[in-house]
Amino acid sequence: MTEKLENLKCYLFLFPGLIFLFLFTYIPIFWSVWLSFNRWNLLSPKPRFAGLENFIRLWNDEVFWIVMKNTFAFVTISIFPTMILALIFAILIDERMKGRVYYIYSLFYPTLIPMAAAAMLWVYIYSPNLGILNILLAKFGLPKLGWLGSSKTSLWALIIMTFWKNLGFFMLIYLSGLQNVNRELYEAAYIDGAGWWRRHIQITFPLIGPTSLFVLVVAIILTFRVFDQIQLMTEGGPGNSSNVIVYYIFENGFKFFDWGKANALTAILVVIMLTLTVLIFGIFGKRITYTSD
Amino acid sequence: MEEKKYEVVLKVFVLQLGAMLMILPFVWLVSTALKSPGEVFTSGLSLIPEKFMWSNFTAIMDQAPFMLYMLNTVIVCTGILVIQLLLVIPAAYAFARLDFTGKDVIFLLFVIQIMLPLESIIIPNYLITKNLGLLNTRTGLILPFVASGFGTFMLRQTFKQVPKSLEDAALIDGAGHLRFIWHVLIPLSRPTIVTFSMISIATHWNDYFWPLIITDVDRVRTLTIGLGMFVQQESGSDWTLLMAATLFVCAPIIAFFLATQKSFIKNFLTSGIKG
Repeated sequence: MTEKLENLKCYLFLFPGLIFLFLFTYIPIFWSVWLSFNRWNLLSPKPRFAGLENFIRLWNDEVFWIVMKNTFAFVTISIFPTMILALIFAILIDERMKGRVYYIYSLFYPTLIPMAAAAMLWVYIYSPNLGILNILLAKFGLPKLGWLGSSKTSLWALIIMTFWKNLGFFMLIYLSGLQNVNRELYEAAYIDGAGWWRRHIQITFPLIGPTSLFVLVVAIILTFRVFDQIQLMTEGGPGNSSNVIVYYIFENGFKFFDWGKANALTAILVVIMLTLTVLIFGIFGKRITYTSD
Repeated sequence: MEEKKYEVVLKVFVLQLGAMLMILPFVWLVSTALKSPGEVFTSGLSLIPEKFMWSNFTAIMDQAPFMLYMLNTVIVCTGILVIQLLLVIPAAYAFARLDFTGKDVIFLLFVIQIMLPLESIIIPNYLITKNLGLLNTRTGLILPFVASGFGTFMLRQTFKQVPKSLEDAALIDGAGHLRFIWHVLIPLSRPTIVTFSMISIATHWNDYFWPLIITDVDRVRTLTIGLGMFVQQESGSDWTLLMAATLFVCAPIIAFFLATQKSFIKNFLTSGIKG
């Protein structure tokens, strides 16, 4: 009896949070999965069960495959170079006390700028005639690029801009992780004659593993849900060359009013994210248990 | 540990180069925001305007209600943060220091939410918000963000580190759960709470997708949406005004972080964000 009472008390602490967690995360997920099996668009304005229809339509939809390819390209190409450079800068800043705040902020401030504002700034930077990039290219006698306006470069332009936006955030998380590395290890390695690279490859890299895992998770969340800069800078174009899954969900829902297809895409995205979670924590599970306790 | 001379030079060079490349876009933004429209076409790479056009800022105020957008943004960010803290602290306390049936499963529910941010389940959330009658309201902009798996996870990590002896001492003094949280846990976890708060403010100052979906009147719009609308209305004709508006949208959040830089960096580096 008292045990039940104690349990009840504990649940009271969780209850308020759980209400909102269910209202805006779990109910939406289940609702979306249900709606993904329904036909619901301008022609049939009430949801009606239609089995796998939406998924079959996606399977045969050329744009869907382009969108998936773009999404995975965007995610992988933005994550890994950003993580590596973030770690290198974190190590360099960690070793320099002088000018530390200046270095941290000059790398970190883009994270603070709203994506909408950053997007406007980069539309200007990429602008074909007045943008600083093409002016610089012309100065060096190189041909101007189309950047956002060309289907060859649009996704790359978005990746570069996203790199600029996320680098400082990842760096700061790494810098925070480095504070836990025992300085004496470097001293010992130094006395043994290990140079800068060897010290970091053999000491920093293994010890920073849990932090890297955390950065990786943050990076996956940030890049899979990419939307703002795409909507503001390219609208997925030209010709879907920079269309990604969340933008395609938005298009289907709020432009084509094909709610069935939009929900099928949402269900696919949820499954991808959950699979990634299981994979990441499955592979690195041991490390996580040791960091979370 | 002594660094060789060339090592120091190389490191400083890489740091300076990186810092400069990262700052350049912002310098370009400030410079254009202060130029006259004509100068944009003629000045090329020159970063210092011939004549400082402070009037660009009054011009954008005349064209769109940016002050109202700012007020809405402040209300929404504050609302989200206050409710988040009210929900996150008790939940993190329960996960860190209490034992109860189903603890692991419920904790998993909070952690999974970190991987599934609102942006990824926007369609059903739009439908729910519409059914609750919260379209075009500030409440609708606030409520979907108040349950924070990230905050719960972060604070749980920190709460766990508070020694058991302090809890026992508090219990002997007759303190209940709430008094222990208020007088012991919160003061001891200040760095993490401050860091979480700042991340929350920065995140929600930046929110764009959700307000884009659920608002279509100026009365409740936030800065980021205001900027997006302003761009459409201007359709890229006058870069000086667009950059002035862009600067106006980022200035407050950058100023806030610069003003609190010392404590922010210190808190961030010592908080439980390492995962």
